[in-house]
Amino acid sequence: MKLNGTEFIIIGENVHTTRVVLRKGKLVTNNPDGVESVRYLDAGKKRRYLVIPEDVKKTQDYEEGRVKHVKIAVQAAMNGKGAEASEGLNYVHRLVQRQVDAGADFIDLNVDEVSLRPLEQKEAMQWLVRTVQEMCPIPLSVDSSNVETIQAGLESGDRRAGRMLLNSASLERLEALDLAKLHDSQVIVTAAGESGMPQDDAERIANASQMVDAALDRGISIEDIFIDVLIFPISVDSAFGVHAFDTIRQLRDKYGPEIHITGGFSNVSFGLPCRRIVNDAFMCLAIDAGVDSGIIDPVTSRPTKVFSIDRGSRAYQLAEDMLLGRDRFCKKFLRAYRKGELKV
Amino acid sequence: MAELADIENEFIRDEIEEFLERPDEIARTIETFANTAPEMQTIAAALIDGDNDAVDELTKEALGSGTEALEIMDDGLISGMGVVGIKFRENFIFVPEVLACARAMKAGMAYIEPILSASGVDPIGTVIMGTVKGDLHDIGKNLCIMMLRGAGFVVHDLGVDTSDDEFIEAVEEHDAKVLGMSALLTTTMPNMGKTIEAFIDEDLREDVKIMVGGAPVTQEFADDMGADGYGKDALACVELAKKFAEEEDEEEF
Repeated sequence: MKLNGTEFIIIGENVHTTRVVLRKGKLVTNNPDGVESVRYLDAGKKRRYLVIPEDVKKTQDYEEGRVKHVKIAVQAAMNGKGAEASEGLNYVHRLVQRQVDAGADFIDLNVDEVSLRPLEQKEAMQWLVRTVQEMCPIPLSVDSSNVETIQAGLESGDRRAGRMLLNSASLERLEALDLAKLHDSQVIVTAAGESGMPQDDAERIANASQMVDAALDRGISIEDIFIDVLIFPISVDSAFGVHAFDTIRQLRDKYGPEIHITGGFSNVSFGLPCRRIVNDAFMCLAIDAGVDSGIIDPVTSRPTKVFSIDRGSRAYQLAEDMLLGRDRFCKKFLRAYRKGELKV
Repeated sequence: MAELADIENEFIRDEIEEFLERPDEIARTIETFANTAPEMQTIAAALIDGDNDAVDELTKEALGSGTEALEIMDDGLISGMGVVGIKFRENFIFVPEVLACARAMKAGMAYIEPILSASGVDPIGTVIMGTVKGDLHDIGKNLCIMMLRGAGFVVHDLGVDTSDDEFIEAVEEHDAKVLGMSALLTTTMPNMGKTIEAFIDEDLREDVKIMVGGAPVTQEFADDMGADGYGKDALACVELAKKFAEEEDEEEF
């Protein structure tokens, strides 16, 4: 999508089988037959209900109040019969449509939690790629921690809406770069190390540079490379924000305007209340530093809105201070939260 | 039965009134603090407040005036951490604040630990922690380690990408009664089960309690692969480790 006149590439991240809605939230409710369901609106704004299956109700997730709605929908659509299958399919369709409407440039698909069996995971990815490309005017991003699942996804895509994106390659799985080359896809390379997560900006830059070089060596063009700088929670260490921004700045300097720099922004607010303002402030600062892409949910974090945020507001300032490492243990931010000062 | 008014420290009384909701926890917490010395309550209050300088100072003072190290640990530090755990569970406080409390606990334990180990007392217990084979993610595991150390455990961190042999060697070397494994990926999660198998093969499974955690891990998965417990977050991990350490103590009687 265009953001203030420049291209900002949104990798819409919400078709993930890890996603949950809360049972006590307003989306989980009884359908007209009195069966607990996740409610949603179809394309014609008509209210519909994705029934929560009985076997899901036996899981601890459910007992603790979380419903893995995307997983339920994918499984219903893939394996269900009749009405159950069509409801699941409808639900997936709406998820995709909402990402597209919100300005996503890619739909990121992740089925890692559908099954622990590699074969079932691959089948789910094949099914999801084939299904989503039927309903989707934008290209797909194939996301898995399992290279074989990524491969299954790439092989199933027909690229009718454009070249796919591989999410992701890293030093511990360089072979993913060969897949990107083979399937002529774009590729996300992460700043993860061969034997561990990067501790600071220097390690991130070293890892990412090795990945970019390896991709270029294989004949992948620089404009097809997205660097994921890896964003860690500010609640765990107040330096994590600065690590990310310094990494982004230095990589942008090093590789110029053609390479894409991205990240999963919402990670930064893990463990904190009022995550929205933290995510929004992070996105502003990351764009200042030089990202031109984000792995985000554009429905909850609307980029146009984020970009026109009032940077003078107290809530924004507190979030920015915290993200720039000026608020140890997030003390000021949390104090303001308790006083109700973060409501925008 | 003790009452709130039996607790001398006003800060602690306020904390109980403001943040505790479950009747059983209120009764248990009141009982705990009503039976501790005022100086220990002051340490607990400083810890709940996340004030590591104060905990440092107060612990030193208490030791100087002849209070037993074990009393300071149990009545001052651990009792304070109990309140912190409840506040976190109920969303009254958040990850950075729990980390501040853990840092305060660590400040106190820096004095207590050498005294206890010199007298042959293992503080609470020893825990081996590591991310499983093939997995490089460690933020959650490190959070658990900070909290465990904060709760008084001695923790040996094996880092990421830990092989079965490394887990087994560490448990044997440190005679640890608790092992924690973490995985963030569905592809590496099954390696937890493989490590558990390896402990069975080496006939060491009975010697150690194994707890597992990480984003994709569930109670069902933990049960399936034969783990002793599953912790959904860092505080739950500490609770499990405490439970296992207590069971161990009981067995020794």
